[in-house]
This record gives sequence, C-alpha cells and structure tokens, in this order.
Amino acid sequence: MIQLFRVSKYFGAIAALKEVTVRIRKGEFVFLTGPSGAGKTTLLRLMFGAEQPTEGQILINGINLSRIGGSKLDLLRRKMGFVFQDFKLLNRRTVLQNVALASEVTGEKWATTRKRTHQLLKAVGLAVKEQAYPMELSGGEQQRVAIARAMINDPLILLADEPTGNLDPEITRDIMILFRSINLRGTTVVIATHNKELLRNTDQRIVFLQNGMIHE
Amino acid sequence: MYYFKHAFESILGNRLIYFLSTGTICISLLLFGAFVLISANFSNWVQTWERSLSLSVYLEDGTGEEAKEEIRRTIEVLPGAQIKAYISKDQAMRDLAETLGSQAGFLEGLTKNPLPASYEVFFRNGDLSREELKEIKESLEKVHGVDEVQYSEQWLEQIEGFVSIIRILGLVVGGMLCVAVLFIVTNTIKLAIYSRRDEIEIYKLVGATDWFVKTPFLIEGAIQGILGAGVALSVLFTAYSLFTVRTIQLFGLPVMDVIFLNTAQCALIALLGLVLGLLGSFVAIGRFFRF
Repeated sequence: MIQLFRVSKYFGAIAALKEVTVRIRKGEFVFLTGPSGAGKTTLLRLMFGAEQPTEGQILINGINLSRIGGSKLDLLRRKMGFVFQDFKLLNRRTVLQNVALASEVTGEKWATTRKRTHQLLKAVGLAVKEQAYPMELSGGEQQRVAIARAMINDPLILLADEPTGNLDPEITRDIMILFRSINLRGTTVVIATHNKELLRNTDQRIVFLQNGMIHE
Repeated sequence: MYYFKHAFESILGNRLIYFLSTGTICISLLLFGAFVLISANFSNWVQTWERSLSLSVYLEDGTGEEAKEEIRRTIEVLPGAQIKAYISKDQAMRDLAETLGSQAGFLEGLTKNPLPASYEVFFRNGDLSREELKEIKESLEKVHGVDEVQYSEQWLEQIEGFVSIIRILGLVVGGMLCVAVLFIVTNTIKLAIYSRRDEIEIYKLVGATDWFVKTPFLIEGAIQGILGAGVALSVLFTAYSLFTVRTIQLFGLPVMDVIFLNTAQCALIALLGLVLGLLGSFVAIGRFFRF
C-alpha cells in the first residue's frame, strides 16, 4: 500500500530523512516513532504528497507520487485521511459541516453526504453534537470529529501525526480504540507518535526513526 | 450552486470589506460612465447636426429681384434642397435683436444694417458628405449676387474636435480607473484568501482540486465588479432622470437633446465591471495559490 524506496529529504543542507526504505502492507497498523526531530512528520507529509522527496520514490497504492501532481494528487488524497495533533477543524463551521467538508469536495450529493456524516458521528460517539461548534467541544471530541472527517470518503490509508499529543491518557485510550476499529475494517493506519505508553503494550508494528533513518 | 453559495457566504462574512470595495468600484465606474455619457451626448449632437444639414446663402447688398430669383432657382435644383425661408436684411436685424434680448440696445447705435439678406436652405436627404457640401458651397458662391455660403462646417469640426478630446480623455481616465478597479478587486480577494487560508489548507488536505478552491473567489470578484457597475449605472440614470433639462438650447435654437446611454453602452459598462472583477480575482488567486 505504501512503499518508500531510498527516500531522502533535505531542507537546505539539513537532512530530515536519509535513504528511507519502508513498506507498509494493505491493512497494516503501524506506529512511526522516534525522538523529536527524527523526521516522523516529514515522513508522513511525504506519504501525503505535501512534500516532494529530494531523492527516491514513493508509491501509494501503486501510484508514484513523484509522477503525479495537480488534480491527480488531489484525487489521490481523497483516498487518504489525515489526522493532526491540532485537529485542524474550522471553528466557524459546525461539527456536521466540518466532517461533510471532505465529502463536498468529491461532488457527492448533499443527501448522501449528510447520511454518511451522521453515521460516522454516531460511530465516534458524537451524533448529539452535530450542530455544535469545535470551540464547544473537548480536545478528545474535536479529535474524534477530525477522525470522522478523515474517514468520510472510506480512505485506503489513514495517516495521523501525533493524534493524541494534546490529549490526556483516558481520551488517548479512546482515540486509539477508534483507530483500531478503523484498521479492523481494512484501512491501513500509520500513526506518528512519541508517546511511549502507546508503544509499551502494543502488538502493532513499530517503525523507529532516528536522525532521519529507519531502525526496525 | 456550491461555488455561488460559498462565494456569498464569504461576502456576507466580510461584509464591510466588500461594501467598501464595491463602493469604490462603483465610484470608478460612475466616473467612467459619466465620461461615456458626455461623449455619447456630444456624438449624438454632432450626428443630429449632420443629419439636419442646412446652408445659409448670404446675398450681396443691393442684389436685385431678378438676381435673387436666379439664386433661388439655382438652389432649388440642388438634389434634396429646400428653401426654408428668405430672410431680408430687416428681418435679420429683428431676429438678432430678439436673440440678444436685453443686450439689443447697442444695435440702435448702428447707422447702417450690416446684416445681409439670406436664403436658409435645408436638405431633405441628410446623407450628404462633407465633400459634397463643400462642392455645393463653392458652386453657389460663384453665382452672381451670392456673397458667401456657410454650413456650420467650422462649428462641426470644432465640436467634433471637442468630442475627440472628450473621448481620448475618457479613454485615459477610463484606463486609469480600470487599473484602480483591478487593484481594488485584487486586494479585496487577497484579503479574503488570507482570512480563509486555514480553510483553504484543509480543503486541499481533503482532496479539493485547485479550481474547487479558486472558483468561489473568482465569483466573489465577479460579483463585486458587476454590482459596482450596476450601482454606478443606477446612480447615473437617477442623476439623468433628475436632470430636468432635456434639450439644451443655444440662442433660442434647440440644438442638443440630452440622451442617456443606450442598451449597448450600459451592457458594455456592466461587462467591464464583470471582466475587471474576474481579472482582479484571477490575479489575486494566481499570486496566492502555491500548492
């Protein structure tokens, strides 16, 4: 599903990633970990096409990211979900509108979008808060809205960059349960985190990054 | 519909900015429209004058009745010519006194009537060219008893010259105003894009194409332009309606009907507003979007 071949990324003279080769199969659940500055966020951004590698190739579901751009990349992104540490919700829109936004861009009919949004919000336990605004929600609730938005187009891949970074342990546990249920339905999940607690008792694959290089 | 909905939401969300920018666009297009209106009226004036061609055939003092009759016959055989009136020297003096009104007193000091008698001739067929009129003038001036023939060519040339100046000035001012409108729209849209940069980032993250994001901004620019043009035309028409004089008179003769812009001219101004609005948005989104 995700393949990186000798991918390097330089920002000026600074090497954020050096010859990273990693394969993530369809349906896998992978933790991407490492100290701050190891290159976790950069790796996720490369997978998402938000950055271009300085060297190497990235294949997402067989598509070489270096060879596509513009609207083809936009179409690929509809098959990927991204969850951020700071949630990235629109404060001037309701929970419903925030989630539906990802479906709007596909040109889906509103009735279908509405139904699907409602189902997802129910799945993340926020059906009663459809008309609330993000500022009225807790951190955990906002992250669940972000997850619902990432899932609305049934993505093949879900990437999450420190999704529990701003959340307390109890909420973190709930969010991780959500990610696992998403993975059980077939979505490939890659989570970048430096939360040792999450990694301690997990049986999921862990990819360790340090100084821009992979150590598995 | 989605794009229009988002465009309207953005405009309503930034009401003050859009109100100010649309107002400024309106003033710019109002000035431009005023130039077009003035130019249109002067052009209409020139065309009306050209269509109602008339000659004044001035007779030499002491021309006998036989010579006058010969002149009259010569005029009548000209294609389309019709003698409107014969104005004697005395009649000419009385007409001048009436025109001068309260200033007519100074005519009493004249020992001799300097005004010539004349035949006022008009042409039923208004399609005579300047060259044809010139030929008629030259041929009539050769007739015995004719002192001079005038057909207001100098007036027309001066007015046409004035109309040309108005047109050139209008184009220059119009050009500058168009640049101003473009600048205003570009900056307003840039502000709108900047204020929504977080939203744009998220839209791109969830797979929106560039045109999905850009189109509402194009619509916002177009709305500004066309609204500005619409209000400008409305203000212009209101001013025209309140302007009670419909015919401007000169020396008692009706010389100019005051007209409003025709449909094509109104459409042109509206289209100009639309194009400038779209262009301004295009420039703004072109500079801002670097995905």
